[in-house]
Amino acid sequence: MLRYVATRLLLWIPSVLLVMLAVYAMAFYGAGDPIKLIFLRAPGDVAYNPERIEAIRQAAGLDRPFLIQFGSYILNLVQGNFGNSLTSGRSVWAMISAAAPVSFKLGLCAIILTAVIAIPLGMIAAMNQNTKTDYAILGSALFLWAIPPYVAGPLLMVLLILILPSGSVPYGWGGIFDVRILLPLIVLSFQPIALIVRQTRAAVIEVLSEDFVRTARAKGVPEMAVAVKHILRPVLTPVVTQLGLIMITIVNGAIFVELVFGLPGLGRLTVQALTNSDYPVILAITLIGSFLVMLSNLLVDVLYPLLDPRAADQMRSR
Amino acid sequence: MSMQPSVQPMTVPLVDDEPPVSLWRDAWHRLLRNRLAVAGLVIVVLLAFVAVFGPWLTPYDFLSQDLNARNQLPSLAHLFGTDDLGRDVLSRVIYGTRTAFVVAVVVTAVAVVIGVTLGAMAGFFGGWFDRIVMWLTDMTMSVPNLLLVVVINASLKGPAMAWMEARYLETLNPFYRETVWVDFLLVFGSMALISWPPYARLVRAQVLSIRGRPYVTAARALGLTNRLILTRYVVPNALGPLIVSVSAGLGTAMVLESAFSFLGVGVNPPTPSWGNMISDGLRVWQHYPHLLAAPAAVLGLATAAFSFLGDGLNDALNPKGSK
Amino acid sequence: MTAPAQDKPLLDVRGLTIEIDSRRGPAIIVDGIDLTVAKGETLGVVGESGCGKSLTMLSLVRLLPNKIRVKSGTADFAGRDLLKMSKAELREVRGGKVGFVFQDPMTSLNPVMRIGDQLAEPLIYHRNLSKAEAKDKAIELLRLVGIPAPEKRIGAYPHELSGGMRQRVMIAIGLACDPELLIADEPTTALDVTIQAQIVDLVRELRAKLGMSVVWITHDLALIAGLADRVAVLYAGTVVEDAPVDELFARPGHPYTRGLLASIPKLTDERTARLASIGGTPPEPGRRPAGCPFAPRCTLSEAICHERVPALEPLGTPTHRVACWVAQRQIREAA
Repeated sequence: MLRYVATRLLLWIPSVLLVMLAVYAMAFYGAGDPIKLIFLRAPGDVAYNPERIEAIRQAAGLDRPFLIQFGSYILNLVQGNFGNSLTSGRSVWAMISAAAPVSFKLGLCAIILTAVIAIPLGMIAAMNQNTKTDYAILGSALFLWAIPPYVAGPLLMVLLILILPSGSVPYGWGGIFDVRILLPLIVLSFQPIALIVRQTRAAVIEVLSEDFVRTARAKGVPEMAVAVKHILRPVLTPVVTQLGLIMITIVNGAIFVELVFGLPGLGRLTVQALTNSDYPVILAITLIGSFLVMLSNLLVDVLYPLLDPRAADQMRSR
Repeated sequence: MSMQPSVQPMTVPLVDDEPPVSLWRDAWHRLLRNRLAVAGLVIVVLLAFVAVFGPWLTPYDFLSQDLNARNQLPSLAHLFGTDDLGRDVLSRVIYGTRTAFVVAVVVTAVAVVIGVTLGAMAGFFGGWFDRIVMWLTDMTMSVPNLLLVVVINASLKGPAMAWMEARYLETLNPFYRETVWVDFLLVFGSMALISWPPYARLVRAQVLSIRGRPYVTAARALGLTNRLILTRYVVPNALGPLIVSVSAGLGTAMVLESAFSFLGVGVNPPTPSWGNMISDGLRVWQHYPHLLAAPAAVLGLATAAFSFLGDGLNDALNPKGSK
Repeated sequence: MTAPAQDKPLLDVRGLTIEIDSRRGPAIIVDGIDLTVAKGETLGVVGESGCGKSLTMLSLVRLLPNKIRVKSGTADFAGRDLLKMSKAELREVRGGKVGFVFQDPMTSLNPVMRIGDQLAEPLIYHRNLSKAEAKDKAIELLRLVGIPAPEKRIGAYPHELSGGMRQRVMIAIGLACDPELLIADEPTTALDVTIQAQIVDLVRELRAKLGMSVVWITHDLALIAGLADRVAVLYAGTVVEDAPVDELFARPGHPYTRGLLASIPKLTDERTARLASIGGTPPEPGRRPAGCPFAPRCTLSEAICHERVPALEPLGTPTHRVACWVAQRQIREAA
């Protein structure tokens, strides 16, 4: 198992390197001169002086060929040095480590909320297939799926402002146990919930037609126990494999949710970095995002044999 | 009593008063019985109609500003009201439909062509080609897709615009002043880039599973060529799942496009797009809710329609799970 | 109707009719079946696939698939009608008084649950045993059905066992709560021939040891010969013949039964002899002929066969009943 995890990590490195090379190339050839950004930060420093600019360029190593620059960037990265922001001059690592906990807490809670709400709802819908309950659940799921977070967020926020006493605005960050987290959390979970409700429903309908469910009933197992012991377990396997997709949905959604609700997380950092063409920050975020998706896919692969003993056997024999 | 058991063969006429039902017709009937799917289909067809015939349907020009009628609430003259520049919101939503459909159709078409070609070849030839294609799909799918597209758009838009500008000054050809083309090209290109891997994987998996089936082995044993096997067995079998995922893909592409516009990296104003209308509407939501409601509702309707249709198609084309 | 001279039967099914929702509306697939099983008796239910034999048995414990339901009939089990029981009562019967063994042990066992846990379930829900007690009893049951080293096997998953072993586990599950009736639905169809014989021997042995009644559903007449006390032959959702096993093999009354018997290959046959077969196919549900359902395929059919449905009536002895106009006429003429 350990060897498998190590192999997967090793295989991830070349792909992420290629992605970073692509982003770096876009920054290098596309984004315009980073020196201008450095200048903007300290406008009083020097007037537009070609010699001075050249000096800064050389000092920053920005006159070297593309591949050398990329190589030195990667070398720094390996040593844990993410470089400095072009706009604020702060260390990228410091910016990321300030923002990441906000996003991680939010994302983790969204995943838990999704699992707790969506899996039972999907099961209820499937076990009452083609009844009003089923249509209500499925319909709400499709409705949630159809509203992007950048629409749901503002709508709910304005709605709440109208209801709540003035002064208490659901905006900003006060830690994960702050009431203000609820709204962004709910908005962020909408689409993952919709996704998992539909996945679970489909998987349960498939399992319900399996012979072993009939066997369980023929044994006189109560319906509740049939649902939990015989249906839920095989259903979890296909649902858990969706974790990677959920992760992408949440990472995408966090960009909007953090922007709309003013949360100081990675999503807002991304948008700021993009508007400022702050490439050291964008590169670092790309790396983290890719790492997260890879990690959740890896987690799926590790969880899979725990959920399905047949897969465990195949893995051992490999 | 000596009755010997009957041994003689008997021909029983195949009494069947119904015409033989083909797989596709059968699926079509199943689809029509699904009310949600039919609703989705109707909405999709309606939106497509609006997208195609938009210019003849709009009550006003989407660019014409009427500064005497700014920020009007919906009325008979302006069914969806007007925006801060006095432009008719309905006309803009209709043009936004056009944008959304153009983006969705072109992106999905490009992604399907790339995905199906690479996926089928990977599945059929295997070996190093297969490994490279799979590695590429893995790589693309391992980066948060929205981030990648936004980065591409944000960094390449400036240089592309500058290049167009330079060409225009050089040639004075009015074509180079239409920056809309750059918008579309970048949006299409980057979205197609992240959209092809699912199609490639789907087709590859179909090819691999069908290649191993006994009836294909039988067809090989009968001396059928690769091309015949591909066209007669693989394509018809892969078509069902492909149609389902194209239907879902069209919806996803529309949402993605509006997300980019919302972040300011999609189709640029003044070309109307649901995303940039939503983004504009958000700023003045409290005062002029119709500016947000109109595009958001249409976007929601379109997404819901595509997902209803996709679900219905899935049930209709894979009858096994829907019993 | 003939009333058996013995005690009241354990299971007494009367006029059981099952219908399915087809595209053309409801269609009858089981048409007024009568079946009885006495205490300690083994009934073989024989018929082609699709004749309704499995559905009949599933309907007794109300495990019919969606879109298939019982239209009418009664199923008296130890004095109570299974078809009218409440859900709670039914749950007592399922796995408690009536044990089930299904056709394909690979799909009928939960692939992600250890066999020990699957075996313990009926014990826990019917006998209120603790987990530890249920485990001990499960080991005992595995030993009973001839699984070597049951202490180790109890932690295995179904895919780790051979087909024969899996079916033994299924049988152990069916027997877990000492049922009065064991219903085995083609339990050997998915197995190799040598394993089939082992399973048949096992059930015969267990029946002698535990004294329960058995209903054994199969399409294989030869298999049933050494196992059943009595055989009911089903065709297109009706019982066409019902007789003690020796009587049935010695004097088959229905042309369909004769066709089935003739299609069993015999070692004494000439090598070049063509194996007998019955021409044609059974009627589809919803397309049943007006008269005897077998008439269109029957070489002996007469005008009446196509017009009226024959009743299941005694043929010579009261225990041998046949639903066939021709056979009944011939026996009357002989008398």
